[in-house]
This record gives sequence, C-alpha cells and structure tokens, in this order.
Amino acid sequence: MAEETFLTDDLLRQLMSVGEVDLLVGISTQVDARALSQAVQAIEQSFQQNFVRQRIVIVLMDGGIKDGDGAITAEPSNVQEKKVRVPGITALRTIHRVTVNFANPPTPGIALRTILAVADLLRAKACAVVSPASSHLTADSIGHLLGSVYREKYDFVAPLYTRHKYQGLLMRNLLYPMSRAVFGCGIREVFPSEWGFSGRLATHCLNQDVWHEEAIRKQPEAWMVLTADVADYRCCQVYLGEKIPPPQATATDIVDVLRQTVGALFWCLETMQPFWLERDHVQTVPTFGPAHQLTSEPTAMDRHRIFEMFRSGVTDLEPILNSILDPETHAEIKSIVSMEEGKFRYKSDLWVRTLYDFAASYHHSVITRDHLVQALAPLYRGMTYSFLMEHADSSTAEIEAANEMLCGEFELQKPYLREKWKAKVEVKS
Amino acid sequence: MRETFLQSLHQAYTNFVSEFAEFVPHFLVMLIIIVIGFGVALALKYILRTILRLTRLDRVSEEAGASRVLRMAHLPSMTELLSRSLFWVTWFGFILVGLSVLGVASLQEQISRLLRFLPEVFIAILILFLGVAIANFVSRAALLAAVNAGYSSARILSWAIRFVIWILAITMTLEELGVAKQTVISAFSIIFGATMLGLAIAFGLGGQDMARRFLDRYAGGPKNEERDKEPQPL
Repeated sequence: MAEETFLTDDLLRQLMSVGEVDLLVGISTQVDARALSQAVQAIEQSFQQNFVRQRIVIVLMDGGIKDGDGAITAEPSNVQEKKVRVPGITALRTIHRVTVNFANPPTPGIALRTILAVADLLRAKACAVVSPASSHLTADSIGHLLGSVYREKYDFVAPLYTRHKYQGLLMRNLLYPMSRAVFGCGIREVFPSEWGFSGRLATHCLNQDVWHEEAIRKQPEAWMVLTADVADYRCCQVYLGEKIPPPQATATDIVDVLRQTVGALFWCLETMQPFWLERDHVQTVPTFGPAHQLTSEPTAMDRHRIFEMFRSGVTDLEPILNSILDPETHAEIKSIVSMEEGKFRYKSDLWVRTLYDFAASYHHSVITRDHLVQALAPLYRGMTYSFLMEHADSSTAEIEAANEMLCGEFELQKPYLREKWKAKVEVKS
Repeated sequence: MRETFLQSLHQAYTNFVSEFAEFVPHFLVMLIIIVIGFGVALALKYILRTILRLTRLDRVSEEAGASRVLRMAHLPSMTELLSRSLFWVTWFGFILVGLSVLGVASLQEQISRLLRFLPEVFIAILILFLGVAIANFVSRAALLAAVNAGYSSARILSWAIRFVIWILAITMTLEELGVAKQTVISAFSIIFGATMLGLAIAFGLGGQDMARRFLDRYAGGPKNEERDKEPQPL
C-alpha cells in the first residue's frame, strides 16, 4: 500500500486501536490553540447533534500549535480536553482522536495525503477536511459536509458562502470561471477551506502519483476538486454561511495567493490536458441551501493605488509580458494602460485572452513558471480595479449576472486556448 | 662552372624529391586525421545534440532567459550552439594534431599551446553563458518582486543586478582565458566596489524613507497599510 511508505509506526498503532470508522474529520493544527479548541468543539458538537450512532475519529496534524504571538505552546492532544455535551443528546460511541506528529508544520499537501491515508486505512465512509482558521466553522456546517456524503451518497461536497461583493475577486473573476470553462466543472469554490468527500474518492486520490509535485504539496484543494469532477464522482455544493475574511493584520500577499491558486490551476491544466482538451460541456452540480450570496456593506480600499500598480507593472514588465502574451493581446493591454483612471475598463474578452495566453505560456514554459505566475499580479490588479469601478453601485444581482457573462466569455473563447495550447512555441526576440 | 650548376640543380631536385616523398605521406596522414576528425566531430555533435534535446536544455535555457539573449545576438538555440561549439572545438583539435604531423618546427610549439588553450576557451564560453543565464534569471526575479511590491525604480534595480552579474561573468571569463589578469581583477574590484558604495550611499542618504519602509515591511515593523487596502482575493 502507498501509505505504508510514509505513515509512522506511532500513527499506525493509534489507528489500530481505533479500528474501522464511519466518519472522519481531518483538521490542520497550523493555527493558534484557541482556534483549534473552538474547531474541535464545533466538530464534537456536530457529531453529538447529527451522528450519534456512527463510529467517529478526528485526525489532528501536529506540527506545533501556536499561541496568539506565534510561539509554539502545546500539542494537539492537550488541546480541548474537556468534552462537549449537547443538552439532551448523548453520543453512543466514543469520539476518537488521532494525532499525527510532524517534526515541522506539514504542508497542506502532506496533511491532506495523511488524512486520505488514514481514511483509507480506517475505511471511513464519509470524511471532511476543515480548517480551524475559518472562523465561520460551526457544528451545522460540519454536519452539512459529512451528511451529504454519508446520507446522500455524494463523493465530493464543496462549500458555498456568503461573501462581501468585493471579497473573493480572484475566485469570482479567474478561478471559478476558468475552471468552469476549461474543465466543465460547475463547482464554485475550487479552493475550499473545508470540504467533504467519500472514502472511495479518498482512496482514488491517494493512489494518484502526484504527491511529490510542488503544486500539490502547497495547494492540493483544486486538484482534488477537479479530480473528483474529471473521474465522474458525484459532486454537490452546500451552503455553509458567511465567509469571514481574515483580520487585516493577516492580510495575504496577492503574489503568494496567485502562486498557490493560479499556479495550481495551471498545473492542473497541464496534468489533465487529455481530459479538458476534449470536453465542451459544463457539468451542473446540485446545490443545497441558498446559492452563492453576496453582501454589499461599504468597505475602504485604495483604488488609486491598485490602478497605479497595474499601470507601472504593465510598463515595467513589458519585456516579460511580451514573451508571455500574444502580440495582439499585449498591444491591447498597453493601449488600456494609457486610459484615464476614471474611464479605465479591463474588458472581459481581453481578460479571458490574457489568462488563456498565460495558461498556454505556462504550458510551453516560455519563462520560469513561477515568474510567469508572478507576472500576472499587475494584470490581476488591473482587472480588480476595473471590477471595483464598474460595480461600485451595482446590486448583488447585477454582479452575479456580470459574473455569469464572464463565465460565458471564458467558454466562448475556449477554442482560443486550445489553439494556443497546441501551437508550437513562437520565437519572439 | 656548368657542371657545378648542374650538380647543384640535381642536388636541389634530389632534395626536393626526397622531401616531397617524405612530405606526401605526412600530408596524406594529415588529411586522413582531418577527415577522421571531421567524422568524429560530426558524430559527437549529433550525440550531444540528441542528449541535450532529450534533457530539454532548450526549455531550461528558455525559462532562464538565456535563449532570449541568444536570439538578440542572432545566435542559434542553446542546444545547437553547444553542439556546434563541440563540433568546431573537436575538429579544430584534430586539424591541429594533423598539422603537427607535418613536422613544421615553428608550428609545433604554437600548436601544442593552442591545444592546451582549447579546454580553457570551452570553459570560458560556458562561464559566459552561465553568467548570462543567471543574470537574466536573477534580474527578472528582482524586477517581478520590485514591481509587485510597488517600488517605483524596479527597472533600475533589475538592470543594476544584471549589470553586476554580467561584469562578474565577464571578469571570470577573461580571467579563465588569462587575458590581462591583474588589470581585469583590479578593474572589477574598482567597478564593483564603486557600484556598491554608490548604492549604499544612495540608499542610505537619498532613500532614507524608502529604507525605513523596506525595514518596516520585512524586519518585523508595522504592516504596510497600502497592501492591506486591496480586496481579499479568496
């Protein structure tokens, strides 16, 4: 078995004492102890409310838990020792906890592979991976993820959230429409922070020879979503409530996010090309609960700064963009750079061609792939600025309609991607 | 008088014939060595080309930016360049060996000196191309990092880095070739030292605010608020 090569003796001993289970929840401990404790409480509460008779295990990744200041404070086995009791409900089974020890904090890919291997060994029927960093994690949301797999027999359950209309713009303007158009995958959250899956999908994913890949080690979520879709597993989406953005102090660097998400998506394009080059239709995915929701409270943003970073980025990166983009696309981008800030628009057809040029150049490795993804950052800022200007006063319904049109544009131009993808590398001097 | 003249003429003719008789086999050997050398060089060229194509060197060279420089200089691809270089170095070596067979005394020492020099030329070419590739890669990484961090002088920074690495590579190449060693090293030390001092003074005096912002961001200071004013991507 594949897992024999990397699971430790200590972990195997713990798993033998647990035996077979019905439900498994994997949880990363790369957060502070308080968040982990809250997450474990939510999971146990969910089990007591929704799965009283099922055999259950919680798998904790231990690479050192941090306190509020980032110092390692405790081991997960010591976290949240007191058991949660829901009034009037008593679990009939012991809720097992398994701790997987790592010398250093595991990468998301290593953590997921371990969870899949544990699920495979314990023959879990329904599994979920949750991130304690998600402050929206509740007993109900865990119940929805596991219930859809355990009771409704879905193989993959993706989350849906309520978001602010300016939150998740990368997801809305790039990751979702591109994965939908290229792979025909109707799942909106291709980089979920929590999701559910069946034991058979866990075994299928575990047996894939991808775990040594850099893209999988850093961000395996999209690969799992697309693998489920490509291999025709039953997928659905469930509404989990509001997605609360991380506090301002932990605001993420856009370049890092692009590396992890767009880099992973391009990698999936590369590895799954026999599938998507032939596919033309979009798979509709059943959705439970309200569809994708948006809120529109006022929010402070430095629009001028975003536009200036786009403008200077396109100018400074001209030689790099010249080697990535089609000459016509590049010329159009250079022409919109000179537009007045107030009248600036990054049209959807140009945005789609930009991304397809980037994807094809990634495939042809015209420059180092990491550099290529970094070069997308100024253009993404341009698109973000255009979105902020265009939808300053738009209602949530109008934004959804615009997003649907963007998805249509991605689908319309898929032949352009195919053509660029199959073309021989053009020599540009 | 007439007899002496005829004797000298005969002697000269005899010498010429004997030297020619001695020269022709040497010349033929030389031709054979050159022809064999051509074949060996051609074979090595095709073997190296196949190996480099299998190892996808051109893709690595493209990614590192070295191919771009080659195209700008109207040179062929890295695979083609290296395999052609090997062909010429090998064949040139055989030509020199062939010439040495002729036994021309004045040529002997020059040929052996050239033969000793050939590997150094090959290494020098390699150093130069590695230098160009590294300069392109590092300067591009610096340009992307600076642009995405919002620095206004990203291109200057990138060019400065490229310039310094080029100077270093050229110095190493010339040193490998043994061209004006002392002068090259002294010139490099002066240029490199002056550039670094200039940058230190410029950054320290002219860019105090920039230095403070840089340290604030990367040395544990308060978070850059401007960056935080972008919408959450996920």
